[in-house]
Amino acid sequence: MVTDELPSAPHTILEWFHGYEEEGRLRGFKCRHCGLVTATWALACARCGRADLEETALAATGAVVAFTILSVPGDDFLNDAPYAYVVVALDGGGRITGWMPTVRDASQIAIGDRVRYVSSYKPGVQFAKDAGTPSTA
Amino acid sequence: MRETWVVGAASNRFGKMKESARESATRVALEAIRSSGLEPKDIGHTFVANAFGISEHQAHVGPLINGGLGIPEVPSATIESACSSSSAALHEAIVHVGGGFEDAVLVVGAEKLSHLDTLAATSYFAIAADYPFETKNGATFPGLYATLATAYEHHYPTKPEMLGSIAVKAHANGARNPHAHFQKEISMDTYLNSPMIASPLRLYDCCPFSDGAAAVVVAAKEFVKQPAAEPLVVRASVRTGSVTEMQDRPDLLGLPATRAAAAKAFRQAHLEPKDIDFAEVHDCFTIAEIFALEDLGFFPQGAAGAASLEGTTARDGRLPVNPSGGLKAKGHPVSATGASQVVEVFEQVNGLAGSRAVPRTDVALTHNVGATGGSCSVHIFARR
Repeated sequence: MVTDELPSAPHTILEWFHGYEEEGRLRGFKCRHCGLVTATWALACARCGRADLEETALAATGAVVAFTILSVPGDDFLNDAPYAYVVVALDGGGRITGWMPTVRDASQIAIGDRVRYVSSYKPGVQFAKDAGTPSTA
Repeated sequence: MRETWVVGAASNRFGKMKESARESATRVALEAIRSSGLEPKDIGHTFVANAFGISEHQAHVGPLINGGLGIPEVPSATIESACSSSSAALHEAIVHVGGGFEDAVLVVGAEKLSHLDTLAATSYFAIAADYPFETKNGATFPGLYATLATAYEHHYPTKPEMLGSIAVKAHANGARNPHAHFQKEISMDTYLNSPMIASPLRLYDCCPFSDGAAAVVVAAKEFVKQPAAEPLVVRASVRTGSVTEMQDRPDLLGLPATRAAAAKAFRQAHLEPKDIDFAEVHDCFTIAEIFALEDLGFFPQGAAGAASLEGTTARDGRLPVNPSGGLKAKGHPVSATGASQVVEVFEQVNGLAGSRAVPRTDVALTHNVGATGGSCSVHIFARR
């Protein structure tokens, strides 16, 4: 029996946390085979199944593809509600979920809005409106 | 595959239980076995669902339930698939019986959450999402479905009354179901005036935290000589999976696991959506019922909201959906939900549904989702 060496993940989930909490950057994976970019930890590509992922830097800017304003938060965010929970399509590929402490009402956000990842020691991946580009709202 | 039947089913009243999940599971299991005409000693295996049993400081509850039933030597296993745990357990039972490994198998799901406060219960639910990549970024369970709702409403203009009509219908049905957590009708005004939990979802878009227990007995046709009740013939039993994380789903306008499960189930049953007389679908939030109705193929994409508002899915509509009251009004004791959907089909088919009876009960579908769609079960049942 021929046993291929198991692939190692380009980074661990702890390193992913470290990336945005301490280093102020978003780490992701890129599939060398099909090009899928993802923020989610994996050993193989969720699209093509190949175990050929490499470390890639994710862009700090992107556009909102879905959101909600959460009035009843989870326990890490008790003192922060209401806030926006967002899915962001990052420039250069990959989507990531995060939250926006300064967006507190549905009238302040729309699908397509430009946002920027802001490094912070608060919990979670935090975004703010990107002042550099106008809102599509 | 041997022909496999659901021969017995039972549920307690959902809501707040004084007793533990273990006690309530044992009680409904005995009731389900008695309704089948079988004896506990006929059971060859027990599949238990109790996803949040750890909150009661109890794991490995299956042997305790079997012990309580007087059959401690019968093997058991706990199946965890978040909100679809007991429909996943049902699938295992059908595989065991259909494959000839056992003649009769017990499925029992139970959950108790009422000893937790809302924050603790919300936090337990949220760990069924991707904890580091979703929950730790601020997601809650309503928040994830609300995020999907926003994406859906961006593509398909959706009036609040469309979601509201699903909540109003659920409560109208729940008011006629003695098993239901909420047995009270609500008006559209009550719905529209309820507070936002996670925009666009209001309080009355959300299912409650419920305690509850439900059980189902599955047996081979050839094993059951004289069924005590009209059995449900299993025409399809399907489980599917999909990418859990919303950030990795290219399409946020429905649940891919449901679409895959529906396609496979209708193929397995040699049936089409138009053949279904009524359905119990996973409406943890009103938007989830819209997704279910479209992903299962009952309505085209973008059309289920208007159809609901027109009454198409009411008890007397073209396709009655959730005559039990659904997760929304009957309640959602996570691990009991999938089994309780089958209890509703069993009661409808056996003329036990009282004033919530639907007009036609020849073919029924149940649909149960794990969390935000990382897992899905679809079952199709027919009369003999």
